[in-house]
Amino acid sequence: MTCDLVRIRLEPLSVELKLPLGSSLIAALAAHGVEFPCGGMGECSGCQVRVLSGSLLVTEADSATLTPDQLAKGWRLACQARAHESLVLECGQWRMQILADDNPSDPIPKVGALATMVAPSIPAVISRERAGDQSASSSRGLAVAIDLGTTTIAAQLIDASGNVLAVETALNPQAAFGSDVMSRIRAALEGQDLTTPIRVALGQIVARLARGRASQVAEVLLVGNTVMHHLFGSLDVEPLAHVPFQSPNLAEQRFTPRDLGWDLPSDCVVRFARCIGGFIGSDILAGIVAAGIALGDDLTALVDLGTNGEIAIGNRHGIVCASTAAGPAFEAGSIRMGMRAVTGAIAYVALVDGTLRPTVLGDGAPRGICGSGLVDAVAAGLRSGSILANGRIADGSKNFPIALPVVLYQSDIRELQLAKGAIAAGFRLLLKRLGAQVSSLHAIHLAGAFGNYVQIESALRIGLLEAPHSVIHAAGNTALRGAKMLLLAREEPQLPPIEHVSLAADPAFQDEFAACMTFPENL
Amino acid sequence: MALNVDLYDAILNGNAKKAHAATEAAIAAGVEPMALIQESMVPAMDEVGRLFECEEYFVPELLLAGRAMKGAMELLKPLLTAAGQKMAVRVVIGTVKGDLHDIGKNIVASMLEGSGFEVIDLGTDVSPENFVAAVEQRKPHVVCMSALLTVTMPAMKLTIDALQTAGLRTQVKVLIGGAPVTHQYAKEIGADGYSENANGAVGLVKNLLAGEAA
Ligand code: B12
Ligand code: FES
Repeated sequence: MTCDLVRIRLEPLSVELKLPLGSSLIAALAAHGVEFPCGGMGECSGCQVRVLSGSLLVTEADSATLTPDQLAKGWRLACQARAHESLVLECGQWRMQILADDNPSDPIPKVGALATMVAPSIPAVISRERAGDQSASSSRGLAVAIDLGTTTIAAQLIDASGNVLAVETALNPQAAFGSDVMSRIRAALEGQDLTTPIRVALGQIVARLARGRASQVAEVLLVGNTVMHHLFGSLDVEPLAHVPFQSPNLAEQRFTPRDLGWDLPSDCVVRFARCIGGFIGSDILAGIVAAGIALGDDLTALVDLGTNGEIAIGNRHGIVCASTAAGPAFEAGSIRMGMRAVTGAIAYVALVDGTLRPTVLGDGAPRGICGSGLVDAVAAGLRSGSILANGRIADGSKNFPIALPVVLYQSDIRELQLAKGAIAAGFRLLLKRLGAQVSSLHAIHLAGAFGNYVQIESALRIGLLEAPHSVIHAAGNTALRGAKMLLLAREEPQLPPIEHVSLAADPAFQDEFAACMTFPENL
Repeated sequence: MALNVDLYDAILNGNAKKAHAATEAAIAAGVEPMALIQESMVPAMDEVGRLFECEEYFVPELLLAGRAMKGAMELLKPLLTAAGQKMAVRVVIGTVKGDLHDIGKNIVASMLEGSGFEVIDLGTDVSPENFVAAVEQRKPHVVCMSALLTVTMPAMKLTIDALQTAGLRTQVKVLIGGAPVTHQYAKEIGADGYSENANGAVGLVKNLLAGEAA
């Protein structure tokens, strides 16, 4: 039997693929790094491609998620498409990514800042003698810290004084199986192998970091959420697929380079730090260390404004934490004209004399809006009266123009209300659990890329955060910084008990959530 | 048709206190409970649904209106029972096994109740067996399932299968919903209907039962 092949060229990188006639595009595109944020369900429209030559049928999901205008211009959902002829396609994600290259953004804390943060904790663990491991490690001085995020990976090579010698960032290759942890769990349960791709990718990253000095690497420490921990360690994710979302395998995982197929000295220790509970993993544990929550008597909070919306609040006597499941709005994921913070994205919006003044990344025309722009735009709308406290666009027009062609739709504001309502409600309930008031908070550290970009003024205006401006700080990648501090600490830092609070079990959540979904009246 | 403007406005504005007071006053004035429901409560929740549909109202308004409606309904229910009156349509609703998200489910339940249906809410994390047991015991016309997690969606199929095995599938209409659920999925697992929001759920129940009567 012959198998007819069709040819596909993916622009703008001019990647050539061959596929069996009539087959789905997902596997072939994913192999070239195209992401399928909703796991190819046809719901998120994140996988758009534009037909430049040839034709693709308009599917049911295409008409449901794309505008007639987009359809007319040839945009289709790659995840729904089948190749019936040879095609030339423009990949929407690549357009952004390529432009992103000339607009570098640095999610990693500056090396200088890091050195001062970890300076008090020399001498390094890297040279500490481990029980039963008196081997060569003391003669070697390098270690690798890896923040394994659901979306992105950030890794650094450090020396015994905490100096950063090399940095690597990459997208998590598991993204082909969906953008959130639930889609990854589902894929793993359906029998897909999500362990090998991440081990291979991290092996390559470590090899690049340590090029020419791999023999000096004594230790690798990974941090990440519980799902990342389980998938990296090849542990069963089934317990994470249903109530009560508690896995029996939360402990630290240890590996040898040989287990992982990594090119490092055979006695190099690779560890994935322990999880806290539920979906809250060692990225938050490391964040707690980096934010110094366990150091003093003052109450300090860490808020990760990502999809899972983790919050930890406490002091040296005890810490409570929860995941508020905010969803992807802060990454502009569920926003109609949302995009990442790359060239063409509206990143900031100011209100000057009653008119909106958007700042577009790069030089070009605005093409979409990223998370920080979204929060700014809604804050500006609230200030000018164009958006009401209940979230409605005041003139009833259902869209709020920012800088044409970019507009916010009424549904985008609703998405933001859900996300910020979940975070604010979670924060209130954790404070209540501690019997504390906002006024007793010493500091709130915002973790993650969005926390770095978002204008705190705007976050306060929309009620995402409810605290005095002076206590709120952008803290960068606290997971990576904490991982390095753990590597450099002379001994495991003593942490107080960390209580994982399940908000789903709290009957007060619904009322608090509803209250937090509205915007503050006058600020 | 006698519209009780106080009750109507109180529900529309999500004012539970006023809804309670208006209902008490109406009962004291001798208004028939069923008439109050059909002529004031149902139109109010209809309007709430319409405002939600055209994006004027959102989740907080729905929850508040639902609460105001529920408070009034609690006063009327014992009177209906005492008078031997029943709602014509009975609905069983729950969040499927493995899932604790219930805000959307609660909104759907109150929209249905506010539309004059009897609603039996089984809560969250409801196993297929419990859905089956409820159908056996309560003999509803419609079963509504909600799921908010990609990983708990398959529990909807398991529940439909369990109804089938128990020989009850043909006795009820099955509706499903929740953010990750799609029309496509509903077709795939053999549900009778899907709606992306609570207002649509009301229309679906009405249409399905009308279709059956026809
Ligand atoms: C609030 C919330 C929570 C609350 C839930 C509180 C509660 N009592 O329900 C808390 C914080 C506890 C929570 C926990 C979790 N959550 Co949550 N949560 C959300 C959030 C922010 C909003 C959901 C919501 O209430 N929406 C408002 C309601 C009104 O909308 P709705 O439910 O869709 O209902 C409407 C329609 O769908 C429809 N409908 C609903 N049911 C039905 C039924 C029928 C028959 C019909 C016809 C219609 C219908 O009508 C409703 C009204 O119009 C979303 C993210 C987001 N921004 O949407 C995540 C989200 C749903 N959660 C998510 C996750 C992963 C979780 C957790 C597993 C993990 C975590 N990070 O903690 C836990 C698990 C909880 C559990 N045991 O089930 C993910 C799901 C991802 C996926 N692909 O599956 C989301 C999408 C966030 C994300 N990370 O991306 N969550
Ligand atoms: S729509 Fe194609 S991956 Fe989500």
